[in-house]
Amino acid sequence: MKILGISGHYHDSAAALVIDGVPVAGVQEERLSRRKNDPNFPLAAIEWCLDQAGLEPDELDAVIFYERPTLKFDRILTGLLQNYPRSWRSYPKAMKNMLGEKLWVRGLIASQLGISTRKVQCIEHHQSHAAAAFLTAPVSEAAILTTDGVGEWATLTVGRGVKCIDGSAEINLLRELRFPHSLGLFYSAVTSYLGFEVNEGEYKVMGLAAYGLPTWMEEMRRLLRPTADGAFQLDLKYFDFLGGAESGYSQPFIDLFGPPRRSWEPIDLASDDGRRFADIAASAQRMLEDILVGIAVELRRETGLTSLCLGGGVALNGVANARVLAEAGFDRLFVPPAPGDAGCALGAALYANAILFGQPHRPMPDHPFWGPEPDSAALLRIALEDGQPATEDNEAELIEQVADALADDQIVGWVDGALEFGPRALGHRSILAAPHDAAMRDRLNRDIKYREEFRPFAPVVAVEHADRFFDLPPGGARLARFMSGVFRVRPEWAERLAAVTHVDGTARVQVVDREMAPRLHTLLEAYGRRTGIPVLLNTSFNLAGEPIVNSVAEAYSTFRRCGIDLLVAGNVRVTKPRIAQPTLLENVA
Amino acid sequence: MGAPSIHEDLPGCPSVESAGAKGPLQVLTGILLRPLHHFIWANPSRRARKLLQFGEVEASGGRDLVRAAELTADPVLRARFLRHARDEARHAAMFRARGRTLRSTLTEGESGPALSEWFAPGERGIDGFDVARESDADLLAFLHLSESAAARDFARYANVLHRDAATRTLFQRVLRDEDQHMRYTRDELVRVAPERTRRILWWARMRRLWKAYLRFATALAGLIAGVVLTLQYFLLLPPFAWLAKRAARREQPGWVSIIEGKGR
Repeated sequence: MKILGISGHYHDSAAALVIDGVPVAGVQEERLSRRKNDPNFPLAAIEWCLDQAGLEPDELDAVIFYERPTLKFDRILTGLLQNYPRSWRSYPKAMKNMLGEKLWVRGLIASQLGISTRKVQCIEHHQSHAAAAFLTAPVSEAAILTTDGVGEWATLTVGRGVKCIDGSAEINLLRELRFPHSLGLFYSAVTSYLGFEVNEGEYKVMGLAAYGLPTWMEEMRRLLRPTADGAFQLDLKYFDFLGGAESGYSQPFIDLFGPPRRSWEPIDLASDDGRRFADIAASAQRMLEDILVGIAVELRRETGLTSLCLGGGVALNGVANARVLAEAGFDRLFVPPAPGDAGCALGAALYANAILFGQPHRPMPDHPFWGPEPDSAALLRIALEDGQPATEDNEAELIEQVADALADDQIVGWVDGALEFGPRALGHRSILAAPHDAAMRDRLNRDIKYREEFRPFAPVVAVEHADRFFDLPPGGARLARFMSGVFRVRPEWAERLAAVTHVDGTARVQVVDREMAPRLHTLLEAYGRRTGIPVLLNTSFNLAGEPIVNSVAEAYSTFRRCGIDLLVAGNVRVTKPRIAQPTLLENVA
Repeated sequence: MGAPSIHEDLPGCPSVESAGAKGPLQVLTGILLRPLHHFIWANPSRRARKLLQFGEVEASGGRDLVRAAELTADPVLRARFLRHARDEARHAAMFRARGRTLRSTLTEGESGPALSEWFAPGERGIDGFDVARESDADLLAFLHLSESAAARDFARYANVLHRDAATRTLFQRVLRDEDQHMRYTRDELVRVAPERTRRILWWARMRRLWKAYLRFATALAGLIAGVVLTLQYFLLLPPFAWLAKRAARREQPGWVSIIEGKGR
């Protein structure tokens, strides 16, 4: 069967195509439209997926949307009514928003693709998350936990999944927590309070947390209270999800924690306010972890299963994931490369294939590379047209030259194979650099990423050497495959991995094996031969406010606009004359 | 053109013509709008907010130009667009820095009231123009007109900022770049479409007008819908709100059981 999965209309739209139970294409709309977290209907992503498979829309057997708009509308309307009359400002906006397009998504998809509405179906948001987490994981039976801000009504679900030998598959979600009691919305409210953008700044809260102490736990417990059945509930006095406040928190929240940070003011960790914000971040992070671990422990006890599949946007929190792995009793924790809403496009298609249509489950390729391939010949042409020094080498020679450049403290833009599906650069659209000195971290922040000093950079290490440098628990390498866990850097290496070691001695490490990313693996080995440390700094190939690059033209324009020294795509290498850089940087600054 | 210069009290700024004031109509508009500009720019809170908005528009315009550079097959245009994008990024940084500086001087009360999201024609950057779907010539024409409108508006703002020398200087610096952008977009348009330059420019003007109409119509429709929905909210919803609140009170916190699917 040919099944197209679509997610969209909230943030980070995407499309994914599954043929006979196996993904053949998947891409986020932002990577094609070049608008970060593009929430629009993912027409470009759909077109690309169909082109990739050589399909016309009418050849599709089904198109699956990742959530049920009518249920979502029900939740929004009910929430507005429950907040009457405080919701009077939100009501017209919400109605215009939903009634304009979002409620009629089946008709929209049918008309955009020119197919019958009978082919278009919707499944529930957390079913999509569960399928994205379980059906892509190399495991036959596992407990499932999905958690995010909110889908239709559910904000958190637990259940179990089974892939049987006869090819059948089951996903049984047992119970759920419902809006407004949401871990994701709790964390988003804190994100907003700390002056960061919701759905974008949650990483920053996690990074900032490492600088603080959880001294606000008493206050956090007022916000989030346990229920008698082992779940939790938010005290809604402190939140305002539908009453008109765009921030998500209310005046009592401010009374409890003090004035919020204004987004335009930098965080000065030496100041009282800066320390207060860091402590609040640390407390919120601890609270989130405690709740997640508690639910996971209960799920382990209830199911008796040794593997857990974790999905939903909260699964992007690598610190919490590592604690769940360490404390919940599961041997293995699987987090897909795209656990958020974009990944729901793939999850919806897989769910339809295995559950709705009962097609046999097939083993899934264990990688995130479902997007467009780069055209290295185009890079060579563009660079030569612009008079940039560019050469095409054989692969072995190129890897050695890149390793030399990295050892010489050059920053490398690395484009290799199909684009990653998900928010993280996992070695196909990465900026690579030497991980040894804090000066490199500062240089990346200053010349390329322009981001807050408290945000760490991630390392990538070959799987054979991971334990030497990082304190990985059993199951840690699996969690680190898609950069989904934060683990301690071994103390004896922390100083020599200063650019990737966070203030608390941890790192969000990616562990790469040769099968998943052969060229990156070879490069790590070559770099290790030069420096004795086969570890590189790996950050996403993009500039602040832009999506990760997709094509070589985007990689090239990024290379031209920032302090990257060397650009590599396929076997093509473009170097930047070092003398030109001061002028360029002056222009960008 | 013979019209009085809107830059006459701005030493070092581009000429009237190059700042986009091409006819008596624009000059008259400038004179008529001057009190409005005085009103907007006199208030530090509004000024800060406006500058921060400009920062976002310039940054967005810069990203569109980067996209144009990535898509064009013309190496000359690629270099021009990248340079232009760097200028926009620099302007964005300047606007943001000045906006933040102004904001930091405000007290809590001053920073509260929000300004409408409405933008003047010159404040819209390249105005949602989809660079991926347009030819180089159409893009150049659109850029030329956008830069022209921006130069005209920025010159007007600079003229009412007598008490804020730093912001005024900022506009003057940006204006110099806008002038240069207007010139290169016009020159390149002549190079890539020598026979059709005028026609393309007129077509671009018509499209800008059409976009303005669409914006107006959308805003009007939104306003009407907002009024109707607000009336509906207060007139029809109270009984349903009462029922919803009563139902909410009966809900038990914690887990809700669900039954799930099975395949094959």
